[in-house]
Amino acid sequence: MERTTMIEALAKIVGKEDVMASEMEIQLYGYDASLNRGRPDCIVMPASTEEVSKVVKFARANGIPVVARGAGTNLSGGSAPTQGGIALLFTRMNRILEIDVENQRVVVEPGAITLDIKGAIGKYGYLYHPDPSSEKATTIAGNLGENAGGAHCFKYGCTTNHVLGAEVVLYDGEVIEVGGKSLDNPGFDLPGLMVGSEGTLGMVTKLTLRMMPKTEAVKTMLAIYDTIADGANTVSDIVKAGMIPTTLEMMDNLTIKAVEAAYHVGFPEDAASILLIELDGLKDGMERLTEQVVEICKKNKVREVRVAQNEAEREKIWAGRKGAFGAVGRLRPNYLVNDPTVPRTRLPEALAQVVEIGKKYNLPIANVFHAGDGNLHPLILFDERDKDELDRVHKAAFEIMKICAEMGGTISGEHGIGVEKLKGMPLIFSERDIAAMRNVKKAFDPENVYNPGKLLPAEKAA
Amino acid sequence: MSNNEKLASKLREIVGEANVITDPEKLKALAVDGLTPQAMVSPGTMEETSKVVAWACAEKLAVIPMGGGTKMALGGIPKKFDILLSTKRMNRYNDYDIANLTVGVESGVSLAEIQAKLAAEGRGYFLPLDPQHTQGATVGGIVATNDTGSKRFLYGSHRDYILGIKAVMPNGDIVVAGGKAVKNVAGYDMTKMMIGSMGALGIICEITFRITPRPDAEATLLFPFNGLKEAAGFLKKLLHSKYYPASLELMNGRMATDLNATAAMKAKYVAAVALDGIEEWVARLKTDLSDMGRQEGASDVIVLTADAHRDFWIAYRDIAGSLAKTHPNLISLKANFALSKVPEMVGALEAGLQEAGLEGALFCRAGNGILYAELPLGDDLGSKAAVVVALIGKLNAEAVKNGGNLVVERAPKAVKEKVNVWGQTRSDVVVVRRLKEKLDPSGILNPGRYVGGV
Repeated sequence: MERTTMIEALAKIVGKEDVMASEMEIQLYGYDASLNRGRPDCIVMPASTEEVSKVVKFARANGIPVVARGAGTNLSGGSAPTQGGIALLFTRMNRILEIDVENQRVVVEPGAITLDIKGAIGKYGYLYHPDPSSEKATTIAGNLGENAGGAHCFKYGCTTNHVLGAEVVLYDGEVIEVGGKSLDNPGFDLPGLMVGSEGTLGMVTKLTLRMMPKTEAVKTMLAIYDTIADGANTVSDIVKAGMIPTTLEMMDNLTIKAVEAAYHVGFPEDAASILLIELDGLKDGMERLTEQVVEICKKNKVREVRVAQNEAEREKIWAGRKGAFGAVGRLRPNYLVNDPTVPRTRLPEALAQVVEIGKKYNLPIANVFHAGDGNLHPLILFDERDKDELDRVHKAAFEIMKICAEMGGTISGEHGIGVEKLKGMPLIFSERDIAAMRNVKKAFDPENVYNPGKLLPAEKAA
Repeated sequence: MSNNEKLASKLREIVGEANVITDPEKLKALAVDGLTPQAMVSPGTMEETSKVVAWACAEKLAVIPMGGGTKMALGGIPKKFDILLSTKRMNRYNDYDIANLTVGVESGVSLAEIQAKLAAEGRGYFLPLDPQHTQGATVGGIVATNDTGSKRFLYGSHRDYILGIKAVMPNGDIVVAGGKAVKNVAGYDMTKMMIGSMGALGIICEITFRITPRPDAEATLLFPFNGLKEAAGFLKKLLHSKYYPASLELMNGRMATDLNATAAMKAKYVAAVALDGIEEWVARLKTDLSDMGRQEGASDVIVLTADAHRDFWIAYRDIAGSLAKTHPNLISLKANFALSKVPEMVGALEAGLQEAGLEGALFCRAGNGILYAELPLGDDLGSKAAVVVALIGKLNAEAVKNGGNLVVERAPKAVKEKVNVWGQTRSDVVVVRRLKEKLDPSGILNPGRYVGGV
């Protein structure tokens, strides 16, 4: 279809001012926070479910791909329109529709910002637990698309554990409701399938989220180590003691230095690793649990443990963690971050191998990781103008995925496959596993309207 | 060779002589809604299951999977039933990784067995699942039917605890979904798709669970109330508090009598609250919740600890199973609804029962918005069938009005024929049907028993 005809037709659906197609806009909405680039034919900003449905019907009728976009923060190329088509930008549909305190649910539009939702329900004394580091910018449907995690998953799980229902526009424009405010609706767990589907199964136009009453007490601790292994062993010992902290987060020396240079939060620049631990629950017994954690840290040769005495100190500790990617980003022009996951007990081994891979390819790698979940975040630093270096980056990234898969882990814990990790899928899935997933895709989207070329490796010609 | 003989001989070839039953008398006892299979087969491995299913697919034979056989009443009347496939011989622990808090077990292992094994490890661990049928149920059956218990309030349900599933798909393919990583967003989350799918898309052969350390302390508080409003009000207050008990249950007097738990419970309603946690938390909850209960109108507070605590919840979980033994026409209903609608739903059910001249044991997960009703109808169904069908219709409408639905988990065939056992059809049935058509185009797995009649 002629691009101008397409733009005119779409303008009739959503209004002229809500279709963008200038060269600058096409470049702007062509990439995400990964290294992948695409070029949409145009960018459409619907304001309602009805408009989404009409746009989708039009796209399907004319064989045009539809790629959902939120804030573009995702890290695997999932929202880069690599096969052109319509970038469906949900930032106008950003309302919090209903805070249903009585039923402990909040109903939101897909473009609502994660942190805004938390702020709105926080006023009533409730929490929405998933907390991706970029939550200040991320849209909630983007979180759904990638099953975003964060630093509190060890106790509270990821996005999938907190999305209870959604309104979905199917490939043919039909609007259905999956899940809802109530639990255990009969039928396949379609909300469970939608979460993490990277915009390939349907367009989510409304979400129903769980909100939970705030806990009475929180204790945040920062433990500083002279080796990475001591920090990792502390994590294992805390788990062995039967505790389920909300948070067990670590960072290595390169990250510590970068964070300190950027935010001056008081991290010692010569520390080999820092472990952030947070406990929650009733206030009774909290001091005893804290002491128990400190003892475990000491047993593992901790240099120093800082226990936050008030909310300001807690926020300072967290600012260092939440800003880690940004701080590391200042070190070199680009970074590529992976998110493989290994069984927690194999973390020290996985990290040691990441260091070796960095040496082998002569690349600096900073490590921030969700230690409780065994979820690594090696940030490989480079300059994309150096083609040889870029080539080495991709090789190193693949090798990291490979060693994690071999350790019984997975290639993506929370950033998704997108296009970046398509090559890694055979590391963990057989052709039969992938064939079953293709059938899931075909059941939802038989004509491949939604985000073609993502999540599943291309089908080999028969 | 007759078709029947051909089937038996093929199955024997795959799993061995001893693991195929064709004796008509024995098979009669395994009928589902009056339909008797031609054979029962018990494969010992996932590979054998794969061969059985691949062959059944080629021959277009209908397969119904079964674990412990405790929930065969669930689901619509089968369209066809050729082979009953028992998963009970698949009962190995394939990846038993206590240090990582994950265990991968085959579907035929019983939950009771795995709990005993985990309790004996180190500091003590458990699967935080407490569904019905404490003795007979296998993990595969529990997961396939998404049967959950009262502690899901604190710990979550299967979808929060299962990291991976290996299943035999309707074409015989062995497919791995998920893995053992606690965070995993590689490909579609087919693990979730399989939970509660009742074998309609594949036969679950292995499940990887996240396990949890056993709490240091446990107890149960029982609060007798005379009014529904007060009992539900108390539980609602608790639901919105910072206390996070393990269970928030509400039962009617008939349920309390059936449980025969304690003589002090002769009340119209009883709130049952289980407490799990460190010693300090459980001690604080006992004090604070007792005060709160009395303020909200409880006539007493009964504290159960140790064996009394344990036995209470075992009886609670086994109520449907034990009633079914003495009441062949037992009707089991499960309604889901928005959390705040507890008094509306319990009230509607009580009114409906009264109008129909029936009695029943009711228990409600007040923190999850789920209500169970067990209605013993006596030996002679006769005229009562029509009354029950009308009651189910009314309750279904009420559940839908309150944001949920009504599932008939157990009923005699005469009732099943006249109701939609899965409740009101929802808009998502279109995708349910397309998934079934794509993954099981020949419709050989559990045909007719799942949502949307698939």
